[in-house]
Amino acid sequence: MMAQPCTDTVMLEHWHPVVSLDELRGAGRCRTVLLDRPVEIVRAAGGARVLCDSAPVQTLVQYGYVWASFGTAPAPLFPFPEFDEADRRFVVTGVFGVQVSAGRAIENFLDMGHFPYVHTGILGEEPHTEVKEYDVEISQSRDEILATRCRFYQPKAAVSSDEGADVEYIYRVPHPNCSVLYKSSPVDETRLDAIYIFVQPMGQEKIRAHTGMCIIDDASTDLDIRSFQQTIFGQDKPILENQYPRRLPLDPRAETPIRADKSAIAYRRWLAAKGLGWGVIPAGA
Amino acid sequence: MKLYDFELHAECYAARLMLSLLGVTYQTEAVDFYPEAAHLAPEFRAINPLGRLPLLEDGTLRFGTVQGILSYLAAAYDPTGHWAPDTAVLRGEVAGWMAVAGELAATAGQARLIETMFADGDAEAARAGAEALLRVIDQHLWFGEVEGRDWLCSATHPTIADIACFPHVVLSEDGGISRQDYPAIRRWIDRVKRLEGFTVMSGVFPTSSAL
Amino acid sequence: MEMLDLAGWHPIAASSDLPTRHVFHGQLLGREFAVWRADDGFVNVWENRCLHRGVRLSLGLNDGRELRCLYHGWRYSSRSAGCTYIPAHPADAPARTICNRTYDAVEAAGMVWSSVAPEAEFALPEVLAGADPLVLRPVPVNAAPGVALALAEGLLPDARAIGAASVSFAEAGLVVFVQPLDAHRCVLRGVLLAQPDDRMAALRYHDGVLCGLRDRIEASGEVAPPPLEVGFQPVDAALAEMPARARSGPKAELRVQVARKWDAAQDVAGFQLRAVRGVLPAFQPGAHIDVHLPNGMSRQYSITNAPGESDYTIGVKRDAAGRGGSVCLHGDVREGDVLAISAPRNNFPLRRDSEKVLLIAGGIGITPMLAMAQALQVQGIPYALHVFARSEAHVPFADRLAGLAVTRHLGLDAAGTGAVLGDILSGYAFSHHVYVCGPAPMLTATREIAAGAGWPEEAVHFEYFANPEVIDDSTSFEIALARSAMTLQVPAGRSILEVLQENGVDVPSSCEQGACGTCVCGVLEGEPEHQDVYLSAAERAANDQIMTCVSRARSARLVLDI
Ligand code: FES
Ligand SMILES: [Fe+2]
Repeated sequence: MMAQPCTDTVMLEHWHPVVSLDELRGAGRCRTVLLDRPVEIVRAAGGARVLCDSAPVQTLVQYGYVWASFGTAPAPLFPFPEFDEADRRFVVTGVFGVQVSAGRAIENFLDMGHFPYVHTGILGEEPHTEVKEYDVEISQSRDEILATRCRFYQPKAAVSSDEGADVEYIYRVPHPNCSVLYKSSPVDETRLDAIYIFVQPMGQEKIRAHTGMCIIDDASTDLDIRSFQQTIFGQDKPILENQYPRRLPLDPRAETPIRADKSAIAYRRWLAAKGLGWGVIPAGA
Repeated sequence: MKLYDFELHAECYAARLMLSLLGVTYQTEAVDFYPEAAHLAPEFRAINPLGRLPLLEDGTLRFGTVQGILSYLAAAYDPTGHWAPDTAVLRGEVAGWMAVAGELAATAGQARLIETMFADGDAEAARAGAEALLRVIDQHLWFGEVEGRDWLCSATHPTIADIACFPHVVLSEDGGISRQDYPAIRRWIDRVKRLEGFTVMSGVFPTSSAL
Repeated sequence: MEMLDLAGWHPIAASSDLPTRHVFHGQLLGREFAVWRADDGFVNVWENRCLHRGVRLSLGLNDGRELRCLYHGWRYSSRSAGCTYIPAHPADAPARTICNRTYDAVEAAGMVWSSVAPEAEFALPEVLAGADPLVLRPVPVNAAPGVALALAEGLLPDARAIGAASVSFAEAGLVVFVQPLDAHRCVLRGVLLAQPDDRMAALRYHDGVLCGLRDRIEASGEVAPPPLEVGFQPVDAALAEMPARARSGPKAELRVQVARKWDAAQDVAGFQLRAVRGVLPAFQPGAHIDVHLPNGMSRQYSITNAPGESDYTIGVKRDAAGRGGSVCLHGDVREGDVLAISAPRNNFPLRRDSEKVLLIAGGIGITPMLAMAQALQVQGIPYALHVFARSEAHVPFADRLAGLAVTRHLGLDAAGTGAVLGDILSGYAFSHHVYVCGPAPMLTATREIAAGAGWPEEAVHFEYFANPEVIDDSTSFEIALARSAMTLQVPAGRSILEVLQENGVDVPSSCEQGACGTCVCGVLEGEPEHQDVYLSAAERAANDQIMTCVSRARSARLVLDI
């Protein structure tokens, strides 16, 4: 049974990822759900066509994905220049279904404090639990959230050593349901790897999370990279599915932020300012 | 020894858990079960005609089902004989619960693959099947506690049957199956997690240490 | 429907659902609970939602004293449900008011009883009074509680409804409670009023009866109503804003009774303070309380307890030459007396993002170190506690020291102490921290030796009990309050704190001699004249905070962030 289709204009006026070109190439077509509407994606000239109840839906092929929108005039998709950089490898690490709202998933992606507890031994490790001060801004010109100067202790920080060290991160949230993080490449310290999560909101509390990377690395196989990213995602999943309530509360008094959650606070405010009312619990609701 | 493995695969986890509990060292070879479905490709079928994970290779021997792997490991690498006990009663019990593990794979395990990795199938039906099994397991474990039995079989120690069932139960939420209604199962999960040599997988977390 | 009455008490778990170090996932009328038993037996019934980011606490880790959330490792104390540690900010003390929602719970007749919004104290249902009941296996049912109760009443002919949600059968000696999980789900909790001869057979037989009842209820085809809509209590407004820096809690006064007073060592009296009503707030290791004395004085004492303990235990050293506080406590205060205390405040927080922690205690300075050592012990963080005292008889709380990683250094003079400190502090490594508390000369020596041995200042943490410096209050200057838009004159002979308080600006304070750190205030402009012993040299040099009780201005004017 499908819920009432989403009528929230903020959501409707955005582009949403529905399938990676990788997956579409293999399968030829794909049926899924977007904003509580069943959609079908088929290969076509120019990449793909998206249909809803056999009627065509606005379609865009960009950054290795097919995107769809039910809006009247969706704004162009955010810039993601690393996707086009010739010396980077683009690896789709998979798509996973999660019983959670898009907002909770994005917030988890921005969160460093959980590394020692959820990604133990990989992205963090006790006792190194401190989230150091970092900066967050909402860029007016680009309408996106930017968190910079983020650092977190990572065991085995580089391929070349077994030592732990602080790793730098930059986070961007250029779309309510999409985020990109940049972190020092374990292969080349002077470059930043880009790791993305594009969330496809199937319903208010159900998503498909598309993840992948644009990285500087010739040594690892696609399978290595995928295994790594899937392990990370598999660790977050039970946490996400046990956040209660599942929709993201926008009321500042719903939960207790700390300084480490600066980026999440900015994200919630940014969503509230957009007037988003779907997949979230609006303030005062 | 080599395990053909996929991190998020419940039955691969059963094999890794058994190896870890026995303290056996091994290598893994990752097989791209999802999204590439490499376990169905001809290259993999050449070594496991069933097209299934996990697959264990020990020298020239190959075991291509989780039941086979657990039974073999316990018989070959457990000098105590605890994991696959040899008495008539326990052999019967172990075989019975191994069969239940197979049913859990077809229900709870299938619900997980449908919800998480978009496998084909009827998630509601899979969940209903799983819930019926979990009710029985919870009841069995509750009476076990009253009788002083901590594990699925009547031995004073866990067996391969516990290890075969554990992954599907502990990962049930991935398939949309809450364990709130199964308090005795939740306690059994804590007991498994406290076994010496226990290891986690992605999505399974350790519990606190016992008093 | 009556069954969904929020005020009623219901069984929510069996006692056997709560083995040690386990967290039970419960529910009543749509509210989910995390239910756990501490090692001391106390049963906690909490809302199943971490205040931080909403993760279910039933996923958390019960370490016997505290519950640790799985997501970011916040720790919540048994009983008070107060947050005692936020790992992302290891140097901060969590605001006192971060406290999970708790529900009343009573353990009786082999079950745990709770209520969502109790209007009356718990009373054991009369049928269970005096019984030695056998609790049957709980049987969850996917059906509305009212439907379940109606069919339960048809189980045997002699059904008698008791209360709103249970039915008893006198002849079988059976009572069935219908625990309403939600509008569409419930649990059948059966109880036999007397222990049968064959326990196993009775348990099995009645389990069969209840399972059969469940199957009939679920097959009855009644459409289950939708789940209840449950709202969550908003967190305190002060917590919704991200605090710039952990602030001290408000000056809540608590009433405690002296449950026990004893000789904890030569010249040291131990006091065990118990809440007169309710539960004492959670405390963090390093925290102190202000004790208001019958003679009108107020004094600060560190809490010595391990995590999750219910009473506060303090140690008071008799100081005949002091200002009279300790003499009053030693002489006049007796077991059974009621004292007013402040809520715990922590100006000496224990970082736990350390690979190794050294704790150095001199004399009565052992009190905060004890709390720290016990917390580290519980959490499994490597540490070493070094206790300096005149003799074994002068080591307080020897009972608490048993089982800790402690080394005693007895009867040393200043030179001997210095030599031992040199040894202890010789191996600094990354992520090591040292905490020291004791007499001022020992603190000063420790800080110097540590600096000489390569310990960075931020790894050396100290707490002075008293400020040994003579305070110079002869200057006068102006203070501007940036947030209150006020300019005030501080004359010679008066402190900033006094001037602020006289003008109605509320600044918490405690020791009022520059030792405890409670009265800290941010400095936006101007140069402070630091006279406290709380700030480290680097913090002093930064000139961005000031202890308003003793410090003054070097510049003609200070702009304070208040
Ligand atoms: S959600 Fe519990 S610690 Fe963050
Ligand atoms: Fe994560």
